[in-house]
Amino acid sequence: MAACALAIALVGLGFWTLIRRRNVIWKLLGLNVAAGGAILFLVAIAHRPGAHPAIVGLGPGPTADPLPHALVLTAIVIHFATLALSLVYVIVLTERRHSQDVHKLEEDR
Amino acid sequence: MKWAAPMAVLGIVVLVAVGTWSLFPRPEVPPWEEATAVWGAENAVAAIVLGARLWDTLFEILVYAMAMVGVRLVLRPLWRTGSVPPLAETPLLRRAADVLLGPIVVFSVYLAASGHLGPGGGFPAGALLGSGLLLLALAKGADRLGGELHEPALERGEYGAIALLLAVGGGVLFFGWKGGSLCVGLNFLIAVEVAIGAWVVLHQFTRTRGEV
Amino acid sequence: MGTILLCALTLALAVFALTRKRLLWGVIGVGVHSLALAGVYLFLAAPDVALTEAAIGFGLVTFVYLLALRRGGRLVVAATAAYPLLYPDGEKIAGLEWEILSRFGRSLHRDVEILWVPRAEIPRLLSSAEADLAAGGFLPRDGERALLSSPLVPTRLVIVRTGEGPLGAVKGDRGESHLPPNGRTYEDHEALVRALARGELGGAVVDLLRARQWLLDGRLRDAEMTPLEDVAFRFAVAPAQGETHAALEEFLRDLSSTGELGRLVEEHLR
Repeated sequence: MAACALAIALVGLGFWTLIRRRNVIWKLLGLNVAAGGAILFLVAIAHRPGAHPAIVGLGPGPTADPLPHALVLTAIVIHFATLALSLVYVIVLTERRHSQDVHKLEEDR
Repeated sequence: MKWAAPMAVLGIVVLVAVGTWSLFPRPEVPPWEEATAVWGAENAVAAIVLGARLWDTLFEILVYAMAMVGVRLVLRPLWRTGSVPPLAETPLLRRAADVLLGPIVVFSVYLAASGHLGPGGGFPAGALLGSGLLLLALAKGADRLGGELHEPALERGEYGAIALLLAVGGGVLFFGWKGGSLCVGLNFLIAVEVAIGAWVVLHQFTRTRGEV
Repeated sequence: MGTILLCALTLALAVFALTRKRLLWGVIGVGVHSLALAGVYLFLAAPDVALTEAAIGFGLVTFVYLLALRRGGRLVVAATAAYPLLYPDGEKIAGLEWEILSRFGRSLHRDVEILWVPRAEIPRLLSSAEADLAAGGFLPRDGERALLSSPLVPTRLVIVRTGEGPLGAVKGDRGESHLPPNGRTYEDHEALVRALARGELGGAVVDLLRARQWLLDGRLRDAEMTPLEDVAFRFAVAPAQGETHAALEEFLRDLSSTGELGRLVEEHLR
């Protein structure tokens, strides 16, 4: 389905950015997009053709599977917390080494 | 070595695509109406997050709080001496804050209160409230707002919310509490926790810059 | 059908965001992409996930990136107040050296932060790397271990005589090395000129710029000046910061070759 294809494309795009960009913040952005792709994948699996959300009283018919939704909810919040902490380390690194370029950071001082 | 990057990405994409293939045909959706009836929530996701897998949610909140503690700890030596000048006092920003802050607070309370009856819940409510606080900080000046929001009280609020959450979780585990009001209480506590954590992160980040 | 269109839009936004040159556009692009992704979740019958993704992915994550987008870190400058070279002007800082320093900071993509300290503290701060640069009418002493920049403004060291009595100088300043054994040292130039005006001292060893400023402000009456030696104000760079020193030299060279340095000196010192 279209959403699965999009998820796979986003994962590929995200990892490509993670590998190829030199700036640390660009790498984090790529990881962000790849995480979005992974989450989309889980949500796309939970979807059934012609489904409506799994809430009581929304009528008959197929429902989307609520379990992956629950897993993904936690994942999004934890992703934000992890992102905040890694950006903190980027800030500290920038203060100490005055550069966000990975090649420069990897040189021995 | 030049081909290493494209090959790696191709490998990952192929892995995920092959994983997709193995999913068809799709299994049946498990019967979720019983879960909602048991836990007193009409939203199946809320029934899972706040009921069947409550302890997953509690530990996730703990991880979130740990990340915030880490942010505070690591950024403390990097605070700037002197005050942070506020963002240029454009009337647009102040007007936007004036107009938007009310709906943001009301909507976030609504999301938290009705999370078990429809889409929503504690997490988006807390995130929305955190964004609203940041909007207020942009309009008022991060230092002024930081001074007005008494920081130790916020910290006490955050850890108090976590303690209450753990206590309620224990109650669910040992005494078998369940029901709609339990879900509402849990949602509100989660919203408070997420909002205060987000505000702490944003405030700490602004304190290490020369301007907002 | 709508799903497919929205998926295509999301993919286009992601490609757009991750192929930008400027980091700012990348961050904003990823934020908008999160919003479109939340829309896709709505189409996939996941309203809770959509709400959470919109609030966190579009709201908080973009904010956090924008707040963390710093440039190169800080450039810490240990300075003594020296009108008209580098002095606090109300909430802001002004002066010839401030103009040069802020342009230098912008060229390095770093924020300039000034630490106001007494002159005697500066060598310690530079060697312990708590400060990257020293400024504010800085006259290097012989044997100072810092890396010096090329001269900014030539001046000279003078003895200002207002009467009988011992000579004074600022502790740590170059004038201190010219003091006779009975000379007195003071923490900063304010204390020095106040002691001179009160008559505790008979004179001071100080640079011409400050002496002229004191006379212009009327803080000293009939003083006579005898020149001692020709010096020049410079910046000092911490010994560990060789790269910054090279960058500063190149920056000053460019500034003087385009005539900009001369223009700034004219503007601030005349």
